[in-house]
Amino acid sequence: MPDLGRLALAIALLLAIYSIGSNVYGARRSHPEFIASARHALWAMCAMVTIAVVALWTGLLTSDFSLEYVASYSSTTLPTAYKFTALWGGQQGSLLFWTWLLSIFTSIAAFLNRRRNQEIAPYAMAVLAGVAIFFLGMLNFVTRPFDLMAVIPAQGTDLNPLLQNYWMAIHPPSLYTGYVSATVPFAFGAAALLTGKLDDTWIRTTRRWAIFSWFFLTLGNLFGARWAYEVLGWGGYWAWDPVENAAFMPWLVMTAYLHSVMIQERKDMLKVWNLALIGLAFSLTIFGTFITRSGVISSVHSFTQSGLGPYFLGFLIVVVSGYTGLLIFRAKALHSPAEFESYLSREAAFLFNNLMLIGIAFAVFWGTIFPVLSEAVRGVKITVGPPFFNRVAGPLALGLIFLMGVGPLIAWRRTTASNLVKSFAAPAIAGVATGVIALAAGLRAWYVLTAFSLAAFVLGTIVVEFRRGVGARRHMLAETAPKALINLVAKNNRRYGGYIIHIGVIVAFVGIVGSSFFKTEVKKSVREGQSFSIGAYQLRYLGLSAFENAHMETATARLEVSRGGRVVTEMAPAKLFYKREQQPATKVAIRSTPFADLYIVLAGLDQNGQATFEVFLTPLVFWLWAGGLLMAIGTVVVMWPNVRERAAIAVAVRGAAPVSIAGDPAPGQ
Amino acid sequence: MSVRARRTLVLAAAFLALVLAAAGAGGLRAATRPNAEQVAQGLTCQCGCGLTVANCNMPTCSFSVPTRTHIQELIDQGKSQVEIIGFYRRKFGEKVLSSPTTEGFNLFAWITPFGALLIGVGLIIFTAHRWRRVPNSSSPEPAPPPSDAPAFDPELRRKLAEDLRKGG
Repeated sequence: MPDLGRLALAIALLLAIYSIGSNVYGARRSHPEFIASARHALWAMCAMVTIAVVALWTGLLTSDFSLEYVASYSSTTLPTAYKFTALWGGQQGSLLFWTWLLSIFTSIAAFLNRRRNQEIAPYAMAVLAGVAIFFLGMLNFVTRPFDLMAVIPAQGTDLNPLLQNYWMAIHPPSLYTGYVSATVPFAFGAAALLTGKLDDTWIRTTRRWAIFSWFFLTLGNLFGARWAYEVLGWGGYWAWDPVENAAFMPWLVMTAYLHSVMIQERKDMLKVWNLALIGLAFSLTIFGTFITRSGVISSVHSFTQSGLGPYFLGFLIVVVSGYTGLLIFRAKALHSPAEFESYLSREAAFLFNNLMLIGIAFAVFWGTIFPVLSEAVRGVKITVGPPFFNRVAGPLALGLIFLMGVGPLIAWRRTTASNLVKSFAAPAIAGVATGVIALAAGLRAWYVLTAFSLAAFVLGTIVVEFRRGVGARRHMLAETAPKALINLVAKNNRRYGGYIIHIGVIVAFVGIVGSSFFKTEVKKSVREGQSFSIGAYQLRYLGLSAFENAHMETATARLEVSRGGRVVTEMAPAKLFYKREQQPATKVAIRSTPFADLYIVLAGLDQNGQATFEVFLTPLVFWLWAGGLLMAIGTVVVMWPNVRERAAIAVAVRGAAPVSIAGDPAPGQ
Repeated sequence: MSVRARRTLVLAAAFLALVLAAAGAGGLRAATRPNAEQVAQGLTCQCGCGLTVANCNMPTCSFSVPTRTHIQELIDQGKSQVEIIGFYRRKFGEKVLSSPTTEGFNLFAWITPFGALLIGVGLIIFTAHRWRRVPNSSSPEPAPPPSDAPAFDPELRRKLAEDLRKGG
């Protein structure tokens, strides 16, 4: 199997190289047979990488410790599910997994464009193959997943205990899917620049790819947050760790891109900006990988650190300088007549929305790299942690939320003050009322009051939009309200799916604010039978039970949870001890309700039978995950096939004039 | 938009950026009555977890566990947040602080994001001004904006009915 894996990766690299040459030659000399051959080479490359992945999975599942990777990241006692996920648990495996996803997406893009976009698709495929060459080069020459051990050990080192969690089964694949699928719109953008075919064909062709990427970046970030919440045991879900930041930045830029392309589709403006954004999004995915693997910035994700940093940095420099050079080269051709009538217009709202998103992305980037700058300039190591990011990004987030409410309700081109008052009166009243109620309820923090008021305002604007649409359908077609609502969303899925995503963002935002500002914490050491309380909850320690298998030892504490004298549940936080790694870990117990999460950590056990618990009561955190779910549902609605849109794409890629699709392409799809 | 209005907008944006920067950096100033959690949030755990001392939850952590206890002791002795954080800064260097100070080179950390935002606002205003001078005759947009029209004017009603018929 190792030989097969090595051979497959070597052939995949050769196929990727051939594909570039054949694509470019075929496109330049108008030889479709060369383009077809290049396409087949890309499919074969995908097959080869798949063989390598299967070979490594086989090694992991059969505990073949002759393979250095298997010996380093698995053991005979590791549960089978985690042997499977160990593919992305270490350096070489995760790069192989990345390359596999890239080869799959490249193959799909090649298949979907086999008969269309003949002017730019071959170049886009060449760019994708170029990216694949970098990763395959790494796997063949720098960080080889099929290297063999000099002496075969009887047992492997095991997977890092922090990664032995079910969220790790889905968090990295989701994030990688988001990262890697961003390569496709980037490749088409680069191809548009290379060929000079700079209309919005590349945007329409890759719109679903961009949404797909955004969707998985969203899920990847949320799953990562959930993993941190359940595994790290500090009661939080986001620590502004450099690697978290690295995953957050492409999400922000991709969100900006998804909004700004609407201006290009609608008004033929912002061509340079959209190309720059997709280039930036892709570059940030590489930057994220550079941060994770270079060890340049200290991070909780240090388990993937290696000496790969210089290679990724080099690749990043090539990508950024090459792409920027192309943008400059095409600057004149990208100039398009644009018109702007008023700051009270949807265009303006989108521009400022982009500014806020990129502003937050820049603030996060700046905070992430500032320790490196400080060390370079002053020779002093500093830390830029959560307080910095919260203070800098927090106010910008409020601005962004405000614009989320404003954008959808104002018209393209311009709107008047009277119309503004008419559209925003009800949402503004909802916002102010929420603020007043919160104030009356005793909330005093200005950020919380503003955040809750803005959330109510934005939800109000969305309700107004739905109400208008439903009202129109009821008026014109005499539909019942539920039927009108369903048809409204179904017929304008892009617009109303976007609104559902906005609702999800607001719901998640409320969850983030509530859980950040109102968390309470109690640390208590108790003996069996003793009680303590947090908020309205009383907790009684019932005792400890122990369990041991070949892989780990587990000590589980049982706690009876009461509220108002009534037992509501029993919770069981645990301490785990992984034998191979000789490392302890925490299994938290969480009771989640829409009002608050009761979160219990078994912090310590002593010889006298006393257990120490760290307990957090975190209000509203439930809504963060609920908001994530809504965002996912909204994205599915946005991506749902739309006959009119397909027709518009077909017209666009045939070279006809751009046409408006699916009604009014509104908010954050 | 008139030159005066544009100038007002730029000044407002500058003011907003300054206020935001001040709000951000101002958070660093110590509260008069510190609590242990607040102080611990201002320090970074040195065990390599990357979390603050308040958030590091490793039960056997050789840094966060004794530091939390020590912080409480210092508070009980009547030390202020500035004094406690200053103590740790002297002992471990700047890297122990969870956010940059607001002096010297570190000031760039706080100002730059808001400065960049300000530049962004300026760029938008500049670009919008240029766009307004070059009206686009080839705009695909049909003539006047619908925003001031009554909710169900006849033209909208006709287009909507047509659209709904097409869409089913």
